Amino acid sequence: MAKCGPECEETLQEIERFLDHEVDEVIRVRVERHLSGCDDCTDKATFRVHLKALIQTKCAEHEVPDALKDRLRTVLSTPDPGLDPR
Amino acid sequence: MAQTAQDDRALRERFERDVLPLLPSLYGAALRMTRNPADAEDLVQETYLRAYRGFAGFQEGTNLKAWLYRILTNSFINTYRKKQREPQTVEGPDDADEWYLFDRLGGQNVEGSAEDEVLDRIPDEAVKKALESLPENFRIPVLLADVEGFSYKEIAEIMETPIGTVMSRLHRGRKALERVLWQTAEERGLVDG
Repeated sequence: MAKCGPECEETLQEIERFLDHEVDEVIRVRVERHLSGCDDCTDKATFRVHLKALIQTKCAEHEVPDALKDRLRTVLSTPDPGLDPR
Repeated sequence: MAQTAQDDRALRERFERDVLPLLPSLYGAALRMTRNPADAEDLVQETYLRAYRGFAGFQEGTNLKAWLYRILTNSFINTYRKKQREPQTVEGPDDADEWYLFDRLGGQNVEGSAEDEVLDRIPDEAVKKALESLPENFRIPVLLADVEGFSYKEIAEIMETPIGTVMSRLHRGRKALERVLWQTAEERGLVDG
């Protein structure tokens, strides 16, 4: 592991929120500028991006069972679904 | 409540048009929350009922997905929290171990982008199980942020918690997830351990 300077430390502190698109413009520009010149931090950032994408693809949408679709259709076609007993 | 049949039909059509496309992601989230298909189906049905009842009051053009997830999350917490007793803390790597998974995967002597490849080889089911292993306080923020792509502010509204709480649970939840994923990779012989 290469030794990190204060700028790396600062960047890595913000990296989670940066990757979540939750930092303000000033921080975003600062992090981007640092990443463009620092391979170590870029590797870490890339890893997190990949991890997040992996969780997204592997845990996302599931095929909806036909039985459930039928149940929901029934719910909506009941005149007052609020009174429909489960 | 003097609604005409025509209004009812228009409302129902709008509901079906706007809400049905979100069904797969709602069902997926319900599965990750309840951790079993039977409960997930019940939860989605309950969410649908509540959403349909409240739909007339829902302002068109505002954030429908967040609104539905709020109903889903609420229904889950109210119905299943009592049923599924579980610890509400996570055991993640400690604070100094900020790059837990990166450091471990990076230590593997495989050429190329080894870290990514190891992760890719973990089967979908195992990644789902890893997420499901987190206690609900941590599982829900990770699910909402990383799977559903909600912002911190939206998650705070969905979970009815302050944004600072969302951020800290998300952070700790992700770290705990890294740890479970590492254990999974070890168990499956994908890494040298």
